[in-house]
Amino acid sequence: MTQTLPQALLLQARTRGTKTALRYKRLGIWQARSWSEVATDVSRLAAALQQLGFSRGDDLLIISQARAEALLLALAAQWLGGSVTLLDPELDNRPLLVRLNPAFVLAEALDSVQQIRDIDQPPRVLLYLDGRGLNAGDDHGLSGYAELFTRIIADAPEPVTEAAATAFVFHPADGQPRPLSHGQLLEGARKLITRESLSAGEEALAARVFAASGQARYLLAPWLSAGFCLNFPEALATRDTDRRELGPTLVLGTRESYARLEHWARERLPLPGTLSHRLYRWAMAPDAQLFRRWIGYWLIRRPLLDVLGMSRLRVPLLVGPALSQESAAFFGALGIHPGSWQEPSVLREPAQAPAHLISHSV
Amino acid sequence: MSAITESVLLRLDDISLSFKGVKAITSISFAVKTGEICALIGPNGAGKSSLLNVINGVYQAQSGSVSYAGQTRRRMRPHQAAERGIARTFQNIALFKGMSVLDNVLTGRNLKRRSSWVEQMLRLGRAPREDDEQRRYAETIIEFLRIHPWRHVLVGKLSYGLQKRVELARALAAEPTLLLLDEPMAGMNAEEKTEMTQFIRDINREFGTTVVLIEHDIGVVMGLCDHVVVLDYGRKIGDGTPEQVRANPEVIAAYLGTRRSRAEAR
Repeated sequence: MTQTLPQALLLQARTRGTKTALRYKRLGIWQARSWSEVATDVSRLAAALQQLGFSRGDDLLIISQARAEALLLALAAQWLGGSVTLLDPELDNRPLLVRLNPAFVLAEALDSVQQIRDIDQPPRVLLYLDGRGLNAGDDHGLSGYAELFTRIIADAPEPVTEAAATAFVFHPADGQPRPLSHGQLLEGARKLITRESLSAGEEALAARVFAASGQARYLLAPWLSAGFCLNFPEALATRDTDRRELGPTLVLGTRESYARLEHWARERLPLPGTLSHRLYRWAMAPDAQLFRRWIGYWLIRRPLLDVLGMSRLRVPLLVGPALSQESAAFFGALGIHPGSWQEPSVLREPAQAPAHLISHSV
Repeated sequence: MSAITESVLLRLDDISLSFKGVKAITSISFAVKTGEICALIGPNGAGKSSLLNVINGVYQAQSGSVSYAGQTRRRMRPHQAAERGIARTFQNIALFKGMSVLDNVLTGRNLKRRSSWVEQMLRLGRAPREDDEQRRYAETIIEFLRIHPWRHVLVGKLSYGLQKRVELARALAAEPTLLLLDEPMAGMNAEEKTEMTQFIRDINREFGTTVVLIEHDIGVVMGLCDHVVVLDYGRKIGDGTPEQVRANPEVIAAYLGTRRSRAEAR
């Protein structure tokens, strides 16, 4: 049994090396990376990070939306025995950054780089993913993520083996930092895999920032444990289109993200009073007889599921508070019953879960 | 700011243009350096759009010459201008409304194709590889201008501000050396103007494209441009940096109406 996330990655690379591990969209075209390619990328990035001075016990701070590059670099830092702090680029992180005083940073784009520049003590290493607009400013100490691959002069060391090593550190606005060890993450992942019968055939969608413990617990760790495919949308603005194209079998979301999707669907429904709307209401009625359910499925519910990108959805996960009554009824009529998942190692009431710790993936 | 070189990309020398005896442009000369953002400003009817049409060959000047990239020509047809790296957008959006954003942007790549129409029709020889290359470049531009969420949407269904951006994308897809923008921010709200200003600045900086634009929003012009040329009644009344133009008494008079008031009083 693997003890750490990089070990789990290597196991997947050994057992299903040619299968697709990651899928992401670049310039409108879906790109795929196999498990062996991902493992090679991560080990090379680990070597590059080590050359930059990153070592066991260091922390890599990432300010990015959900992107494959951010995930790979996070795994590379963990490979070396370091931890990863994930921040949401859409939030003002400056007060926290002043407190953390990070030494190693990956910033997605100009806005995130600017947040880092605003703190007094500059980081030792500041990497960026999107260099647009950065050449105009003071670029000292900045280097591109892509440049990491060109600087490698030595192989990466063996990956970390201690289950107790910290993998992620989350910083709730109202409390102390919450470290999550490799062991905790993998244990939680195994429980989730067992409960939801997750297999290597799942297609999961990582649509929102990683800056949430929910993403690490319910998406990243299960991805490495179960060996399914993790998909990244092109951008936050295209997630609905990308979900339609992908048809994921596993999604993770909060009450708010399910409500957003419900609202998005309702906006596109026929106007009340029209024949089409009456047909919709007839098809979505709960507890209908078998024949009515069958007709309603083919006429309304199946096309609607296709539009939502949920026609293949098997495991809809819900983190945090339960769905509102309207959302539960809407998704229930479509046969989607998001399962609430209690965080395995820290017991807390769903209603108490701080919103910023929960990702909005759906 | 943009990386401006000392070399002149575009020089207009003593350009005059008239329509059936009505003088639209009278003896205008100015130069645009490689890498700069140059604005043509002036009241309505000052001859700004006519001058842009002279630069890209839609109108032929009755006198004077246009030098572009080291070559001086009395006459240049629009297709020759396009082949030589001049692209433009229009005051009134001129897109294919029934086509998707991607297809509209791809039309900007037509001049980059080398395969024959037979190859393209039968998808033989160079055509398939070219298709991939054109698509990749078009997608790069689409992502650059952040219109990827609407990639497959028909242009006619987009908002006005987005249509303006698609038109800019189509012009940019031609990999222009000189980009002519005729009122790129006309009809936009403040937020859209800020976005468009940033896009123009990014195009200039990231692609090194020289930009000549017509704009009525003086705040935008002063903040964005390296060089401003002021026209009034078809004549050039100012030419310099935004600071120089702002301090030019003739420009102030034209914009405040002092000169016209004086003439009317006489």
